[in-house]
Amino acid sequence: MAARAAARAGAEVLLLDKRRELGVPVQCGEALSEEPLLDLGIKPNPRWIAGEVNAVRLISPSGLEVSISEKKVVHGKVGFILDRKVFDKHLAMLAAKEGADVRVGTLVDSLLMDGKKIAGVKASSFDGRMEVRAEVVIAADGVVSRVARWAGVNTALKLVNIESCAQFQMVGIDIKSPEVMEYYFGSRITPGGYTWIFPKGRDMANVGIGILGSRTQRPAIDYLKDFVNSMPGLKKGRVIEINGGGVPVGGPIPKTVKDNLLIVGDAARQVNALTGGGIDSAMRAGDIAGEVAAKAIASGDVSEKKLKEYEKRWRKQMGKRLERYLKAKEVLLSMSDEELDRLAKALQGVEFEKISLTDMLKVFMKVSPKLMWKLKGLM
Amino acid sequence: MNVDSKLCIGCGACASVCPVNAIEVADTYVRADKNCTNCGICTKSCPVGAVTVERKL
Repeated sequence: MAARAAARAGAEVLLLDKRRELGVPVQCGEALSEEPLLDLGIKPNPRWIAGEVNAVRLISPSGLEVSISEKKVVHGKVGFILDRKVFDKHLAMLAAKEGADVRVGTLVDSLLMDGKKIAGVKASSFDGRMEVRAEVVIAADGVVSRVARWAGVNTALKLVNIESCAQFQMVGIDIKSPEVMEYYFGSRITPGGYTWIFPKGRDMANVGIGILGSRTQRPAIDYLKDFVNSMPGLKKGRVIEINGGGVPVGGPIPKTVKDNLLIVGDAARQVNALTGGGIDSAMRAGDIAGEVAAKAIASGDVSEKKLKEYEKRWRKQMGKRLERYLKAKEVLLSMSDEELDRLAKALQGVEFEKISLTDMLKVFMKVSPKLMWKLKGLM
Repeated sequence: MNVDSKLCIGCGACASVCPVNAIEVADTYVRADKNCTNCGICTKSCPVGAVTVERKL
């Protein structure tokens, strides 16, 4: 997205990606609402949409179900389960169409420095080693976030701020409602996270699990295997792909700009801490970063002061929202299985479309005055 | 830090939690450099159980 925006704004752009095939391996649940696509002028395309969803079902530790229609949960009208293998290539194509040079299979292994000034990157590929001089480097290198670290920004995640995630892409399974995303909670099956089933049609889904690094006793994939084995509709299916990765859930880094450098996406920890979703914010931030970088280059000033416009704009657009999700995550993490069950019980039959905030608060009050207190900051 | 290359999926979760920036994630491998202190934090982040550390006792 950054490459597309920068090229569109007139900059000379080189997009480097260590992957030889963009979008592979998938490190993502692949869920995205329609809103960011519309906002960013990307027309939803059946080539990279594997499923359409419009509702969410939350399953409490004891198995109580709470159903919410998507309108109430996310801002979009509809949600998609993407095929990132095609989607990521599509985004690269959009960047290339705007004039960006795209190089895959190219591993950036250090920053190119002029004294203390960031002057580009050093990389290696099939063509050998290369040095790229650049006025602005946009670090969109994911959860590992090495570029930022090389530049002296500490992006190391604490275990309490990472969800260790494993996912099976499964076929031949029973999906009751292909339009519903399911989230399972419980400290036994998913300590400090949740298990998801994101349908890709009636017999296919992404089945994944995220476990808080500080609470895990076993690798995420072991919990995932147990979950699949405990669900007859999944157990009979086949795993056609195994995905894994870490999701940063501690909120964005305090500063995403330095002289000649912008940090975006997972690398900047621009992730919804409650759901672990990061496609939306990464795309929006990338779009802003590209535009700001191009403008700064054109003006001949690529100092931190000038590039700060990126930080201001993305924080204005999503800063408060990400903060609220972070608080909500903390409330969720502080709840015991019993509290989650009590909450689910109180929400049985509640029509989320119609319920007022006051009535919702009454429900929370009934569940636990302590919970009410915890939620205070969110309302 | 030891990485079981048969299990490792190269996702980089270990590198993202490494407090001393000692883990390199390339396309087909993950490895720790000489700065690795065997602190073991990476083992907790690995989703597939590919990372182990030998405790220096």
